[in-house]
Amino acid sequence: MMKLQWLIPLLPLLSALLVQLFAARLGKRVAHLSVALGTLTVIVAAYQLVTYIGSDASPSWHSLGTMWGSLYVDPLSSIMSLVVAGISLIVHIYSIRYMTEEPGYPRFFLLLDLMTASILLMVAAGDLVTLLIAWHMIGIMLYFLLGQNTESWPSQRYAFWTFITYRLGDLPLVLAAVLLYQTYGAIDFPTLFARIAADPNATIMGLPTAITAAFLVALSAFAKSAQFPLHTWLPYTMEGPTPVSALMHAGIVNAGGFIINRFAPVFVHSDGVLHMLFVVGLITALVGSVLMLTQNDIKKSLGYSTMGQMGFMVMECGLGAFSLAVFHLIAHGLFKGTMFLGSGSMIHEARQHDGVPHNPLYTFLVERKSASIKLPWLFIGLATLVVPLFILVIAHWFVAPDFFEKQGAIVLLFFGWITGVQVLFATHHLDANNPIRMMMMILLSFTLIVLGYTFIGHAFENFLYPEEAFRNALYHAAGIDKLTFDGLVFLLALIVVAGWFSSYLASREKSIFGDRFGAVRLMLYSLISREFYVADLYDRMAHWLLDASKRFNVWMRWY
Amino acid sequence: MSFFLMLLAGFFLPLFPLSMVFNALLARTKNPIVRVLLIFIWPQIGVFLLAWAGLPLDSGFFVGWAVLTAIFYAWRLLTVRVLSQWGGMLATSAWALAWIIAADLPANSELHSFALWMSVAPALLIFIATALQERFGAAYSGLVVGLARALPRLSSVIVVVVLAAMALPVFPSFFAMLVLLAHASTFFALPILLTWLLWSWAGTRLLNGFVFGPRAETEAADLSSTTTWGFIGLIVAIVVINLIWTGA
Repeated sequence: MMKLQWLIPLLPLLSALLVQLFAARLGKRVAHLSVALGTLTVIVAAYQLVTYIGSDASPSWHSLGTMWGSLYVDPLSSIMSLVVAGISLIVHIYSIRYMTEEPGYPRFFLLLDLMTASILLMVAAGDLVTLLIAWHMIGIMLYFLLGQNTESWPSQRYAFWTFITYRLGDLPLVLAAVLLYQTYGAIDFPTLFARIAADPNATIMGLPTAITAAFLVALSAFAKSAQFPLHTWLPYTMEGPTPVSALMHAGIVNAGGFIINRFAPVFVHSDGVLHMLFVVGLITALVGSVLMLTQNDIKKSLGYSTMGQMGFMVMECGLGAFSLAVFHLIAHGLFKGTMFLGSGSMIHEARQHDGVPHNPLYTFLVERKSASIKLPWLFIGLATLVVPLFILVIAHWFVAPDFFEKQGAIVLLFFGWITGVQVLFATHHLDANNPIRMMMMILLSFTLIVLGYTFIGHAFENFLYPEEAFRNALYHAAGIDKLTFDGLVFLLALIVVAGWFSSYLASREKSIFGDRFGAVRLMLYSLISREFYVADLYDRMAHWLLDASKRFNVWMRWY
Repeated sequence: MSFFLMLLAGFFLPLFPLSMVFNALLARTKNPIVRVLLIFIWPQIGVFLLAWAGLPLDSGFFVGWAVLTAIFYAWRLLTVRVLSQWGGMLATSAWALAWIIAADLPANSELHSFALWMSVAPALLIFIATALQERFGAAYSGLVVGLARALPRLSSVIVVVVLAAMALPVFPSFFAMLVLLAHASTFFALPILLTWLLWSWAGTRLLNGFVFGPRAETEAADLSSTTTWGFIGLIVAIVVINLIWTGA
């Protein structure tokens, strides 16, 4: 089984080598070679996952017999290998025709293969050095993939933004690895994690190693997963080829969620860092969502949507729901990848005919024309507020009765409830011949989604982290004292209700606020439309550094 | 005595402003072979001097000075456009970091290998500079952009060497940086990482100045297939030797 595991990162590497060697002889047919080996990689990854589940095996570690260079096969690496290989194969197949007119066709497949190999090595790395190499390689490959069009300055500019942010993310992980090695004297994950569990309070130069390393890993994850304020590269990378956007949004940007999960045995001893993850994730989710809603460029809007999702993913880690973050990143990856790969044909279709359906759903969603309310007020109130809560509570209680003892789970439930309420509240205006039937259908859909997510999520959690004690420890580490928690929940509920209420008052035909907050709204809109000036600030700082460097060099006569 | 030896070593494992001597010497040397020899031999003299002064070094002052020199030259690298000068400043920035290892290790073998591995990329840059000078009269970033389409083989070699200069995996300098960090205190780790980041920034600026951009209108010939494979073979050999050295 272990020998086969080596094939997973090696097959794409072999493919890259063959593409380079046969590019001149085979021309564009070389892409089929890449796809064939990609298919083989998926088959091996699927076989490994099925074997792992079927044999009821425990995590295993395999080294080349050298100081570094090893693989760690556990549920996380098994499932991620299959996901990455699968998405990469789809992108490969899609690229055969999509990239055919582009210059550097074989180079594109070479880079795609190297990128796939790097990600597959990252997810299965068994020691710190192998992980660092793969982690760095991802940034390098992404730089060249985004800059595939070597003649386009915008492509190069945004490829550089991505690269430098990724480098910012590489270096804290290097430092974390060094600190862990200096303290625990091991680089292979099984030994390292065992030693951390045995002595979680070890220090280095007066600093608690586990907490410091977790903090550095978190910083690394923030850069790779576009967390605020290291997010500016993500929405602007659309200058790269669409298949790269798909691969990036479906896979590469999820690296942050993966690395936090890989270092879960470190994070479990770092409660403060988990709280930081929650706050940064929350801010990112909010900023990403706000910026997504205000974009007039669909691709940038998708970019900010990904940023928001990455914020949720990190936030879930901050709540101790590590497995949920992996579930989220897989689901989001498949969803967003499909959107990007389908965007070309959507645009093509829209050019042929407008495709406007002119049905009640379109009138409601796009033209924002709602029907006069036909349902009783009390019914709507009950359906929108109570029913989602009831469904969520019953579903979660059914799979895990102790679920409600975990603070992180309560917060997630709260978010689920708010989302459900928002959906129902927004759709009850929808024009329909039979409003009761429509509302029942909406509730049924909601119930199915919640039940599906709850059961799958629970099964996934048991698969990823089979030890119940460890799962509970993660939730416990993410917890805060009861009084603060209750206060925060109350405050959050208050903010949500106030938001709803003010949105209702402001959206009436004659707003009761009048033009009182006009200036504030305008200022806020300017800030949002300039994306909070974050990119401008970086640009200004970079120019200042470059100018100063040039002046110094001239003064020093370039010696 | 040891103070003066360390001060003397400051010319060879360069400490600013003593570092200006090396950079001036490199600029005045025109023969590429002599330049490469200078790059390989210069820091080794510094290591011998440090060993003579007594290892591990007991001078926080010199180590602090070296770290500041490394960051300073990495920052200056951002706006350097002459390729050989770029290689010289990169070497200055990288060699200065050797002082950190010298402060932590009693033996000088690791110090010699660190200086050697950090000299590889600057030496390769000298060869690239020579190839560019032969074709365009100068190896000046921004003079002829868009070589990726016009001269793909030369561009590939430039890309590989610049990646090595940025100390990225799996080039020797990457492992040398890991070794360095393993010997550095947490206090010095941050400036080391900052230096590393600046190298990456400077490297991408260099690539933009040569490789990327609209296709260059040039009649210059690309590298021959044999030369390209020879160069790539050399780099692969260096990488493999280093991997064996580092225990892979």
